[in-house]
Amino acid sequence: MSDETFMGVPREKIPWFPTIDYNKCDFCMECDKFCPHQVYERREGEVKLVVAHPEHCVVFCRACAKTCGPDALSFPNKPETIELIKRLREEGDDG
Amino acid sequence: MAERFAVLPCNGLDKAVGPLAREIALMVVEACRGELICPVLYNNIPALYAKALKLPLIVIDGCGTRCASKLAAESAGGGLKVTRKLQATDAFKEMGESPGEGLTPDPERLALCRLLAERLLSAPDEGTALGSEAAFAEPVEYATVTHDKFIFRIPRQAYLFNENHCWARLAGNRARVGISDYMQQELGDLTFCELPEVGVEIGQFDAVGSVESVKAVSDIISPVSGRVVAVNPAVAETPEIINEDPYVRGWVAELELRDLEGDRALLLDGEAYLALVRQKAADYRP
Repeated sequence: MSDETFMGVPREKIPWFPTIDYNKCDFCMECDKFCPHQVYERREGEVKLVVAHPEHCVVFCRACAKTCGPDALSFPNKPETIELIKRLREEGDDG
Repeated sequence: MAERFAVLPCNGLDKAVGPLAREIALMVVEACRGELICPVLYNNIPALYAKALKLPLIVIDGCGTRCASKLAAESAGGGLKVTRKLQATDAFKEMGESPGEGLTPDPERLALCRLLAERLLSAPDEGTALGSEAAFAEPVEYATVTHDKFIFRIPRQAYLFNENHCWARLAGNRARVGISDYMQQELGDLTFCELPEVGVEIGQFDAVGSVESVKAVSDIISPVSGRVVAVNPAVAETPEIINEDPYVRGWVAELELRDLEGDRALLLDGEAYLALVRQKAADYRP
């Protein structure tokens, strides 16, 4: 159980992490080589890369997407994420 | 007669976006009767292009690896002065298009390249105005957090922080942004700093550039929203300035603020950021 928080909200409540579009991904592993936070993990078999540790992803960071030639990485909508964090903070204050 | 430019493009041949960057470069050179700089040959024998580089320089990157920008920044004598720049992947994305997959551009994409080339020739130059210098020249009083042999400094006043370890220093309706002492020490010696374009609108928590060290690349996440009115060319030329003086000389961009009161709700003041760094420093492993 992680006690990491971001802006006062438990990290696991913030759905900010990359999603791999496997129709585009060519498993070049550039994102995995790039990310210093071990968000990705390589696998044997047909799907050679997965988002194994979404909770390691730095909220609002999208830097790995820039390394992706086939543009296979996407992130959540930022304004919606900010709104969610604001709401969770208010709920936290009330609780 | 249009102004002449030297153009240093990405020459990536193994990704679809490389040949697009190359086509844009050829179109710009043709339209302004400028000089083309081959990045491969320039990397090997820079002296061959000494004459071409007397012209104002346009850099055209293909993908986010930004090889052409890096080549320009790492050139002898503190890097080349870049007058205008374009990154083809982002430019295509902004138009709602993709660079495709083929290594030979199709007619539709060539038309888009032509549009981008025309835009580059009519774009404003990269701004280097220093903005409200005096307001940002006030001395800074620091608090410190010590952990083993590491000392992290945090300005006590006039700065706001986000939890991405980036700061905004406020002066009137403007703010300068940069990275914190904690972040620069965590990254280690910086080798590259990418600046945003002057004039671009930045939302709160948007990337306002990036920094790269021998260890990692990191986006600079803007604590505040606003329009970029100036950038600090010194940190692009000499990124070590950010290591030496992250809070003053190491500023990255200056923004005209859009909604400071709205932004502030999600930011930390010096005292709160001090508490965060204290907590992080407790399990700090460089």
